Amino acid sequence: MAVQDTDARQSAVYVYGILPGDIELEPGAAGVGDPPGEVRVVRHGDLAALVSDVDLTRPLGRPDDLFAHEGLLDAAAAEVPVLPLRFGALVSDDDAVAEELLQAHHDEFAIALSQLEGRVEYVVRGRYDEQDILREVLGENRQAARLAKQIRGADPDATRELRIQLGEILNAEVAARREKDTRAVGDAVDGLVEASVVRPPSSELDAVYTALLVRADAADDLEETVSRLADDWAGRVDLNLIGPLAAYDFVGAPAATAAATATGG
Amino acid sequence: MTTAMQPAGGGGGFARPNASGLADVLDTILDKGLVIDAYVRVSLVGIELLTVDARIVIASVDTYLRFAEAVNRLDISQEKEGLPGLVGELEHNGAKNKTKGALEAAGDKLREFANGYEEPQRAGRRSRREGD
Repeated sequence: MAVQDTDARQSAVYVYGILPGDIELEPGAAGVGDPPGEVRVVRHGDLAALVSDVDLTRPLGRPDDLFAHEGLLDAAAAEVPVLPLRFGALVSDDDAVAEELLQAHHDEFAIALSQLEGRVEYVVRGRYDEQDILREVLGENRQAARLAKQIRGADPDATRELRIQLGEILNAEVAARREKDTRAVGDAVDGLVEASVVRPPSSELDAVYTALLVRADAADDLEETVSRLADDWAGRVDLNLIGPLAAYDFVGAPAATAAATATGG
Repeated sequence: MTTAMQPAGGGGGFARPNASGLADVLDTILDKGLVIDAYVRVSLVGIELLTVDARIVIASVDTYLRFAEAVNRLDISQEKEGLPGLVGELEHNGAKNKTKGALEAAGDKLREFANGYEEPQRAGRRSRREGD
């Protein structure tokens, strides 16, 4: 990548996302940085970019920065189509946003936005209750139960190999349940969603972690469906529906988008 | 049947949507979305980012040891019918060996898988997990 190396540069323009050009932004929205920069709009043609000024002498990435980035885009996505940028996108100035970003890729962005019209992303995330899932596995896997008995109360260093062996079995058993439960969620929401992407698990206790692209008018049905599933799984899996979000999982390389769409119902 | 409006923290375990925790935010905005480098080259500006690669490695020795530790912490008194392993040990040797062989083969496969994936592990995953 060609990072501009201008010694004199003290500030730059942070880009959050790309939206249709006719949006209006309420003044006073806080962006990333400390103190937070005020979010404003740079327009070109049928497109607009949400941006704010950033002091280059301070690093970015505090939790407040992360929440500011996602909060702004998610709030926008509830109203209009949004192409979210990955955290940390910086260009030199407003002209660069207008010309190099919006003008140079105008039609590509405009088409992508029109495809997202009236759609939002939700993420279904489920976590196994650690104790319950381990008991379930120990109850069904004889070798795991035997190993568990062998390591209980024993010197951790002396039983390291046994622990690893047990952990491998448990990990594989949980992974098998994750696969099954992820499929169950996919089946349950089939017909309500336009596309879905199974995210890689973010914890060994993940039961489900799936991003869904949903028409805004199907959001209520989706909530009800996931809620029913949460009731069915109560105690075993803590199930949450996160959203509406900007369609982070459904933008990006054209090939990735096509593959994601193909898995949809 | 209940509705989606039930309060969070109840028995049903379903929070009203829009509850992004820091971990979810990390997974989302550090890993997804359009990458500016793909669109802007000349005017790109670099800045120090405090964030770390949040991805964790599921199949790793660390994961295995954590699982084993969690099993060690299980409250034995709550295990209704005792560990099934106790029964297993009294059972016929032949059947037991068969089971063991199959599971060990599976374990070997998993180990190969794990070896391939241990490399990208980063120190950052700890802090990330705590923020969860």
